[in-house]
Amino acid sequence: MNRRHFLRSTACGFGGLALNAMLARASAPHFAPKAKRVIFLFMAGGPSQHDLFDYKPRLAKSHGERVGVKSLPRGIPVGTDKFLTLGPVAQFAPRGQSGMVISDLMPHLHRITDDICLLRGMQVDNPAHDLASLQFHTGGFNDVRPSMGAWVSYGLGTENHDLPSFISIQPGSDVRTYGSAFLPAAHQGTVIGSVPADLKTPAIRFLDEPTASQRREMDLVQRMNRRLLARSEQDAQMEGMTQSFELAFRMQAETPKLVDLSRESKATLDLYGVGAEPTDKSARACLLARRLSEAGVRFVQVTLDGWDHHGDIRGALPKTAAKCDQPCAALVQDLKARGLLDDTLVIWSGEFGRTPWSQDLSGTAPIEKHGREHQPESFCAWLAGGGVCGGLVHGETDEFGYQTVNGRVHIHDLHATVLHLLGFDHERLTHRHAGRDYRLTDVYGEVVREIIA
Amino acid sequence: MRRWLPLLLAVALRPALGADGDAFFEAKVQPLLVERCYECHSHGKKIKGGLTFDSRSGWEKGGDTGPALVPGKPDESLIIKAISYSDPDLQMPPKKKLSDAEIAVLTEWVKLGAPDPRGAVVAKKFVVNFKEALRHWAFQPIRRPESATSIDSFFSATPRADNFTWLRRVSFDLTGLPPTPQEIEDFVRDPSRERFVDRLLASRAFGERWARHWLDLVGYADQIGTANNVPAAHAWRYRDYVIRAFNADKPFDEFIREQIAGDLLTTTSPDPLIATGFLVLGNVNIVESDKDKLRVDVVDQQIEKVGKAFLGLTLQCARCHDHKFDPVSQRDYYGLAGIFGSTDSVWLTGRGVWSSVTFTELPQTDRERAQLAERTREHEQTVANVKHDIAEARERGHVLALHLDDEERESIEKQKADADKLARDLENRLRHLDYIKPTPPVAHGVWENGAPADTRITIRGNPHALGDEVPRGFVPAAFHGQPPAIPREQSGRLQLAEWLTSPNNTLTTRVAVNRIWQKLFGEGIVRSVDYFGLRGERPSKPELLDTLASRFVSEGWSQKRLIREIVLSAAYASASRTDGPQRRFRLDAEAIRDAVLTVSGDLAPCEGGPALALEFAENVSGLDPKNVNPVAFSTSKFRPEQARQRTIYLPVVRSSAQRGPAEILDVFDFAQPALFTGQRPITTVPPQALYLMNGPLLKTQAAKLAADLHGDDRARLAQLYLRVLNRPITDAEAREALDFIADTPNAWTSLCHALLTCNEFLFRL
Repeated sequence: MNRRHFLRSTACGFGGLALNAMLARASAPHFAPKAKRVIFLFMAGGPSQHDLFDYKPRLAKSHGERVGVKSLPRGIPVGTDKFLTLGPVAQFAPRGQSGMVISDLMPHLHRITDDICLLRGMQVDNPAHDLASLQFHTGGFNDVRPSMGAWVSYGLGTENHDLPSFISIQPGSDVRTYGSAFLPAAHQGTVIGSVPADLKTPAIRFLDEPTASQRREMDLVQRMNRRLLARSEQDAQMEGMTQSFELAFRMQAETPKLVDLSRESKATLDLYGVGAEPTDKSARACLLARRLSEAGVRFVQVTLDGWDHHGDIRGALPKTAAKCDQPCAALVQDLKARGLLDDTLVIWSGEFGRTPWSQDLSGTAPIEKHGREHQPESFCAWLAGGGVCGGLVHGETDEFGYQTVNGRVHIHDLHATVLHLLGFDHERLTHRHAGRDYRLTDVYGEVVREIIA
Repeated sequence: MRRWLPLLLAVALRPALGADGDAFFEAKVQPLLVERCYECHSHGKKIKGGLTFDSRSGWEKGGDTGPALVPGKPDESLIIKAISYSDPDLQMPPKKKLSDAEIAVLTEWVKLGAPDPRGAVVAKKFVVNFKEALRHWAFQPIRRPESATSIDSFFSATPRADNFTWLRRVSFDLTGLPPTPQEIEDFVRDPSRERFVDRLLASRAFGERWARHWLDLVGYADQIGTANNVPAAHAWRYRDYVIRAFNADKPFDEFIREQIAGDLLTTTSPDPLIATGFLVLGNVNIVESDKDKLRVDVVDQQIEKVGKAFLGLTLQCARCHDHKFDPVSQRDYYGLAGIFGSTDSVWLTGRGVWSSVTFTELPQTDRERAQLAERTREHEQTVANVKHDIAEARERGHVLALHLDDEERESIEKQKADADKLARDLENRLRHLDYIKPTPPVAHGVWENGAPADTRITIRGNPHALGDEVPRGFVPAAFHGQPPAIPREQSGRLQLAEWLTSPNNTLTTRVAVNRIWQKLFGEGIVRSVDYFGLRGERPSKPELLDTLASRFVSEGWSQKRLIREIVLSAAYASASRTDGPQRRFRLDAEAIRDAVLTVSGDLAPCEGGPALALEFAENVSGLDPKNVNPVAFSTSKFRPEQARQRTIYLPVVRSSAQRGPAEILDVFDFAQPALFTGQRPITTVPPQALYLMNGPLLKTQAAKLAADLHGDDRARLAQLYLRVLNRPITDAEAREALDFIADTPNAWTSLCHALLTCNEFLFRL
């Protein structure tokens, strides 16, 4: 059977191939991968590293005094004019066998410290939420580039032909954080707006229960489409459209099963904190991430927000931490118990961190009620599984937790490292657009080899 | 800690000269450079910041910020500053500071006069050969054909599409709408293609279709930047201007001139002022706290837009270095940057770090002034009424407070709480009323900044690292002859417009006619419609491109004439094929929605006006003046009529998904408003199928369509196929449809819905 004959004779025809070709890998990995899939837990708002991950005795000592940082950031200070040092709002202690120093606001994380690699020298280039967040997701903020998940989908293709290869769970409003920009649209993230508490609410927009009358309608349409095609020659676009209806129909049948968390054991639900407060919402999202990942979705992005503490960080941060701590730690434990952690990379990070000095937008609050301003210069993130060293701390900041003194990991470096773990040389995973080859890391990025097991 | 070092050095490092110095370099310095610096600063690896350390000449010449060191003077040497980590903007190596001993070695080396015996490394630099690149076809003068040549002389005869296909094709291409049954019947009675095309060109729908193509190139949205949903409340004036311009067939050179320099033209019309919105509307990062950076980023965006929309070049690539493929130098870029740098388009609002884009007040006619006065009177009356109600509610609250000791304490407390809440709500209403009070018309537009000046190169785009000053100017590669001179006291925008529309410019008209061709054939003569540079596609028919470009100019830059000529050609009328010249393609989001509304009879006319429904208080937040953040909009509520208006009139949001009736845009490949898009990608992905199968638009309109069919089954079927597929139904189709109706519940709505999802409806053949 020659190729042409094959194309004519298969039921799905050329369009089926075209669609699958779009989702299929753009290129095989460049070398043996350590990770096969990624779960990115995005802590929107900017968690405060000074109160969670990066203990600086100097801040406690100078609490309330003008901060001794030599060169303050450019820009207009809003509510930070006095640059008063704000001591950590929680206690720190060494945890796990590795003795990683973490604050007591994340008791569940303590259980998995030996599985995580803590990065203390993260860096992005912009202090505004949307731009830093855009850079974290896409590498750029001056123009529109494909998101990390889109690149991974582009590079690795799909493992499950009934599901998209990139799913974003409860993303923020900016569509570009899960967009495919100039990559084929098949690689853009499919959104699950919120994880439904019951099965009646569709998880994916416009996804309804398939019905018999819908099937009849589709059969009529497909007959008409076949006749139209017979009148002309092969047409990849028209066949692609036809094929997308069939895939959509299958998704309607498959997705509800996946999203149905009631199929999980009580022990698993409890591990994540499903059905309990304040964890329920985050727990559902994290558990669904595991289910999707398990089912072959290459890149699952989960956004947990509430970390933007400009005021009363002492009162507010513990609440956000309590919502997210257990579900995130449970995800790592659960993946490990299922033998999935070895080849699943988990990333936990905000778009930036927060300043060692306090912020008070009211201008009148006592320092105990102050918050912290955004800090892109240095912040903390952690990775787990997927070939990174557990129990390792990488990077160190100055005595104020402001500038990194060693082990700086710029977001481009993190992107390079993520691709490396997936088996890609970040300089060679490229896409030609507008006359030049683009890549996730633009012209930057170094693989952080020190953290790879 | 550092005190022991000089002692150690005194022992370890003898003052070295000549051979000793070289030996010191080879023993101590070179290994250090190889291990800690070569990764980013050598020819074998990377050359970051333009700096290399693998040869003496490398550090002597230095990088973007000048020589890396001054021999003998560590204190004046950039390398010592960088390795000492004393400047947060200049810290090398960036990952990990050198040890104190290593720092001491390099410091001593510089102090010794930086002995370095190494020979030069032959650079394998990736630079464009300007002389060769200038021979590229797009930089050659446009060749005017010797005799009048018709479009069809460039094509061999191909089978023609039938009349119905042609009618549907030309209707969608020119107006974005399908032909109505009436129009089809009229054409059958009077089969004059000329008259049919002229009617389409004269319809308002023509401008509504072609304006949207232009808005894709401009990055149009009803939002300023992407942070906090700040409304671009006057952007719609630019959109309406573009619709007017296309419908009036404004000569394209004038269209360019108004958008680049409308504020500098002497005219009493508001249109040229509105037109400069071209330079303002974009993804401006208004929350950027580094205002120097904001300024250069805005200029960069303006250069990118002008480059892409008019020239088909990626000029923005030359911001940090000479263009890698095209003969565009970094100096060319900063010549243009001086022009836009001498133009105001952003300002600091005084609310925290927030900037905004500039506004221009528009001239009014007497009638408009009178209308404004009338609306202001009405508004003031409303405000007075609300103020009165507030006073009443407050008074009631006070009175109730006096009776809190009475017996019915609970009931009185509740009444007081109600009165207080009413007063607060009314106060919010008052704030909102003040926000939407009638004002003289304004548009987002630019003006000269009062101190026009040349600008300095920003090294790697960093506004705090400045290089040479560059005189204002244009892009020499795309121009033959003497470019217009820029007077010292002007920004140069007027001259830029002149340069763009000059017959000596090799790109503007080629790019413009190619864009029109692409919209009418599905593919450009130059397939990369936004990029005519060396890495772009070459024209499939260069003579045709030049013929169209020169005729465009000789016919007075009339887009309508060019479009008319093309759609009346035999090439345009040929049956569509995947290998051209006439392609078939799926309708875009606007055409699908507008066609569905047309077919169901629901489409409502619109004269333009504000897209954002800010008159609804639920769409406006952050009105409290104490708020650090600017006033923000949402699209949580639409005007009822917006559900029935053409898609171009719906609000475009930058930062989030499009909502309400506009949600179809995101599903079907709408141009991302942060990009400047000459040709949208066409994808076929499952979310589109889900939208068509289950989305509210088709469900609602299918029911309306079914209810609007009359007569017996056969008559209804004939109407249905004529309305949706714009052709008569065949006998076989009628039998098939009758079978479908016979055993389907809710049969007619289901049949209508099915037809709206079939390829023949969704494609333009």
